[in-house]
Amino acid sequence: MNKYQLYKLLRKNESLKEKRHPMFEKNRFMKFLLIFFWLYYAAILLFMGVTMAIGMKGAYNGVAAFHVLDGWFLVVLMIDFWIRFILQDTPVNQAKPYTLLPIRRSFLMNVYLIRSGFSIGNLYWGFMLVPFGLIAIAVPFGWITFIGWLLGWWLLCIANGFCYLFVRTLLTKHMAWLLLPIVVHGAIIAAMFVPDHSWLDMPCTILLNGFANWNVLYILAVLAFVAFLYYANFLLQNSMVYNEISKEEEVKVKNTAKMSFLNRYGRIGEYMKLEVRMKTRNKTPKMQFAMGIGFMLFFSVIMYFTDVYDNGFMKSFICLYSYIFLGVTTLIGIMCHEGNYIDGLMSRRESIYQLLRAKYYFNSMLLIIPPIILMPLMIIGKMSVWMNLGYLFFTAGVLYPILFQLAVYNKDTFPLNQKLTGKQGNATQQIISMVILFLPIGFEKLATVSLGDPWGYILLMCLGIIGVATHKIWIKNIYQRFMLRRHINMEGFRASRNS
Amino acid sequence: MNIVIQNLKKRFGEKVAVNIDSFKINSGEILGLVGNNGAGKSTLFRLILDLIKADDGTVHMMDNTRDINVAETEEWKDWTGAYVDDSFLIDYLTPDEYFQFIARISGKEPEELQQFLDKFEHFMADEILGQKKFIRNLSAGNKQKVGIMAAMLLQPQILILDEPFNFLDPSSQSAIKHLLKKYNEETNATILVSSHNLQHTVDICPRIALLEHGVIIRDIDNSNGQAQRELEDYFEIND
Repeated sequence: MNKYQLYKLLRKNESLKEKRHPMFEKNRFMKFLLIFFWLYYAAILLFMGVTMAIGMKGAYNGVAAFHVLDGWFLVVLMIDFWIRFILQDTPVNQAKPYTLLPIRRSFLMNVYLIRSGFSIGNLYWGFMLVPFGLIAIAVPFGWITFIGWLLGWWLLCIANGFCYLFVRTLLTKHMAWLLLPIVVHGAIIAAMFVPDHSWLDMPCTILLNGFANWNVLYILAVLAFVAFLYYANFLLQNSMVYNEISKEEEVKVKNTAKMSFLNRYGRIGEYMKLEVRMKTRNKTPKMQFAMGIGFMLFFSVIMYFTDVYDNGFMKSFICLYSYIFLGVTTLIGIMCHEGNYIDGLMSRRESIYQLLRAKYYFNSMLLIIPPIILMPLMIIGKMSVWMNLGYLFFTAGVLYPILFQLAVYNKDTFPLNQKLTGKQGNATQQIISMVILFLPIGFEKLATVSLGDPWGYILLMCLGIIGVATHKIWIKNIYQRFMLRRHINMEGFRASRNS
Repeated sequence: MNIVIQNLKKRFGEKVAVNIDSFKINSGEILGLVGNNGAGKSTLFRLILDLIKADDGTVHMMDNTRDINVAETEEWKDWTGAYVDDSFLIDYLTPDEYFQFIARISGKEPEELQQFLDKFEHFMADEILGQKKFIRNLSAGNKQKVGIMAAMLLQPQILILDEPFNFLDPSSQSAIKHLLKKYNEETNATILVSSHNLQHTVDICPRIALLEHGVIIRDIDNSNGQAQRELEDYFEIND
């Protein structure tokens, strides 16, 4: 078998892996929804591209619209970077099944790195850039300029993808590497928003203008940067592949806190201990938690030191998301981590009911973190105490009950301690995410516009308190519905445990 | 506690995994379940434990006062202990924490747990307790021991163990045989054990059911160890 045949075989296997995933194989509706969301976000990008092209035309004192967009390309790349955590696998993980076969490791790494570079995901921003460029560049400046400009964006997306792979792989060594993108992105945002005029606006514009003008120096410089990132990834991924296979880790347990203060809560207390240990001893939940805290700190620092987010909508947005971020990231996959030991849980009487209650108490207790992080903003008056109280109770009493509904429907086991990849959310999870992300803002606006500032938040608070007070009732209901679906869910958990 | 199986059927696609018209496991019996790979042993255990849904039929646990369909209530979980595979283990806990967890959610006092662990001291061979290792970092054999012990911790009236001798070293295999026999004598618990190890099965099980393509084709009386020859003939392991 020559290298090309081997490449085709590996590509075919990857394709089969996606097609034959147990969750997709059995669920046509899920396939439909995934395509729907793929198209939905593409349509949003398309819409943004068209409206920006028209809206920016002549709006900036004669500056070409694409120069204005180019000034923001680092922001686009930052968003692109963090989205990749949800969507992109790493070559090490993809190569894992083949490492003991007679295939050169370097060949595998090259195949997966090249596939990663040329993946269709790197073209997704094209839904925004192509219509934008057609209107704002191709028509006034010609096709050659348009294609050069698109090439620049594409190469930068590829470079961004390699940066992501590098960081994601480093995260297997230590969680602290997460600070690297946080610090870099924080510095970029500071350089863009803290000074009166962005320091990065002009360099970004010049860089992409170089592509638009087919300036060979710029193109070669970016190509060299991509090649450098490729090689750095190659070396890193190659060195990490055996670590990933051998699953070497510290086997001596450091954290053996007995948490005996929870003993007084009986069985619930035991399940709360379980929840705490699950969150603190497994890489995936730890990473979710770290990202949540990072998110809150990041936006509160930006808001504290700059006036970028001082308008009403952004205040609500940041306040709300500070409260729901941890909940959404962890509860959207509620029971999915437990899928790893679901048979053990299901062989104990009412264990799922106790577990759900423990999860609710644990996540509600975590809600103490956002007001601590947002406290400086409340002290300097950038965020009202009522808003915080409103969202705190609304999250605990309205949004958590919505998220907990997923306990009835989730049936895909998420790996607890896998080093590099996490599984993606399914369609039901995505729909609930959408509801959680859009419902509260709309509701808050409706409440505050119709009742006035503090009263709108007081209404949110009251609704939340009702949910908190009735938690045993709705959790019992979720548990009963879970038990009705238990066989379907257990089958799903088992089927996806090692997939 | 008796286990009564009636008209139990389970298919996976075209394949019949379990098809049992009627079968009763009597209270206090140790039943060995043998059969080739894919015969349906684990599936039958999962059906008894309500971990998968039967296409048809029922499993009842009953004694003089109770008659419980396992698919309709969770009451039976209070007196049933099981270990089928490592999906029963919470692997980010240490064995000490796992036993404490099981004990506490089962309403056992710490002293009871300690007494229980003392009984298994020899079986654990200083490799399980106090090691400051997560269960996921234990060897396959030690994981198996943790699972078996956790199933017995409840002091169940029904104990179900799928391939309990797997991964265990010879002395641990011998130890678990003695522990199961002793447990049965002391508590009169009903014990179901599946195994590919005919010798161990014959040693501890007075009754052995032979499963083929989901059907119990033979119900063998082994009260005097006479099943050995019949099983060897079936599995064609005679010279």
